[in-house]
Order: sequence, then structure tokens, then C-alpha cells
Amino acid sequence: MNPDTPKQRLQHRQLEEQTAEQQQTTGQQAGLAFDSVEELLRYDNLQTAPPPAIAERLRISLEQEPKPKRSWWHRLFGK
Amino acid sequence: MPAPVKYDDPVSAPEMATTPPAAPAPGPWQALYEQHSRYVYYLALRTVGDPALAEDITHDVFLKAYRHLDQFRGQSGLRTWLYRITINHCQNVQRAWQKRNIISTGDPQALDAVAANTDSPLRVLEIKELGQRIQKTLEALPDEYRLLLLLVADENLSYQEIATLTEQSSDAVRGKLHRARRAFVLEFQKNS
Repeated sequence: MNPDTPKQRLQHRQLEEQTAEQQQTTGQQAGLAFDSVEELLRYDNLQTAPPPAIAERLRISLEQEPKPKRSWWHRLFGK
Repeated sequence: MPAPVKYDDPVSAPEMATTPPAAPAPGPWQALYEQHSRYVYYLALRTVGDPALAEDITHDVFLKAYRHLDQFRGQSGLRTWLYRITINHCQNVQRAWQKRNIISTGDPQALDAVAANTDSPLRVLEIKELGQRIQKTLEALPDEYRLLLLLVADENLSYQEIATLTEQSSDAVRGKLHRARRAFVLEFQKNS
């Protein structure tokens, strides 16, 4: 039997792709165990970054705000 | 404790300025935002369950904080103060939403009646869908349980601070958290 027939080459390639896909999926599905609800939520929080668009929107909004009588960051940071 | 800032407080009209308003220096507010925005956004997201809404809330919370910083007395941590604004804002958003939609949240008594094993670790196989699963679980809980769990997950907050934020005693927080954890585990296992 000739292993290099087009049909077999296609099957081989499909098998390789399938294996690679399975390996990728296994990596994504690596099991995790959390000892507490808090630990699970902390992990979730770490995976949930605020979209960068918020910072930009906020920057624009703050530019339109009147200047505070006393610099809020001086008050906050005690300078 | 500083007076809670209600989101629907009227915001004073900007003073008439003859010169364009000066923007705050980018450094300090950026540092403030970078330090706390992840937590504010996460609390908002898991409370309202809508990323776009959570984005709006996070923006509004920091803007509100900027406008009302004179109300921050430093008696609580800045994070706690930002959480207070976030909670108020989320509650207003939810109230507005509930006016338009009839929703039912979990019944604490029904959840309490069911035993759940909270000692065993929470096992997660499908990480990709974890956020959705957590969201679904939290949405099945009573609002108070959800809030307590989200707050206690922030290691920077003490039980006393959580008690102050939720306007109850530390003992009440401890008792409710015990039930909230059990209810969460039960729902989380159901959603697996």
C-alpha cells in the first residue's frame, strides 16, 4: 500500500491538525481547583481587565471638568 | 465614615470660567485609576452583568470621585469610598432596569435550605467559559449575597469595612457570607 496517495496524505494532514487542535484545547481546559469562592473570584478578577477605552473616556471627561479649587491629587497624596 | 455619595445627587453646575478649564495632571489620576479601576470595573461587571454598562459605571464612578473628592474624609480607604460610589451607582442602574423588567433574584431561604459542600475545592475544567459561569452563578444569588462575595474577594477590605459598606454589623456579614458561599457553591456546581 502506498502511503503517499493524495487521499492518505490528506488523511494524515487532517489527523495532525486534529491532534494539534486537541492539544490546544487541552491546554485551554487545564483544570483548576479553587479552595474557596473568594479565591475563584480573585482569579476571575485578574482575568477581567477594564477595557482601555474607559481610561480614554475618563481623560476626555476630566479635561472638560472645571479645575478644583485645591488640587485633588495634592489633597489625596498630601503634597 | 464619609457621607455616602448618592449617584443621583445633583451635580453642581460648572463655574463660569473665562479661561478654558485646566485638565488635571495625568500622572496622579492615572495612578489612582490604575490602582483601583480593575476592582471598580469588576464589581460593576459582576453586579450588573453587562460589560458595556460596567464600562459606563466605571467611567462615571471615577468622574464622580473626582467631582466629590472634597467629601472624602480619609476615614475609610479610598478603595472603600470608590466601592461606595460604585454600589450606589449599580443600585440606581439596577433599579432603573427593574422598573422596565420584572426579574426574580434568588430566594435566600430556599438557598439556605439546601446543603452544599463548601469544604471541597471548586473544580473548573473549562476556563474559557469561566467568567460566564461565574456571572450566571452570581446572578442566581440574592443581591446581598452577591455583593458580599464580591467585596470579600477583595483582600484589601476588612470585615469591618464590608460591614460599613453594606450597613450592617461585622457579625451579620460573617453569618451571611457563610450562607452566601454555600449558595454560590451550590449554584456553581449546578452550572457545571
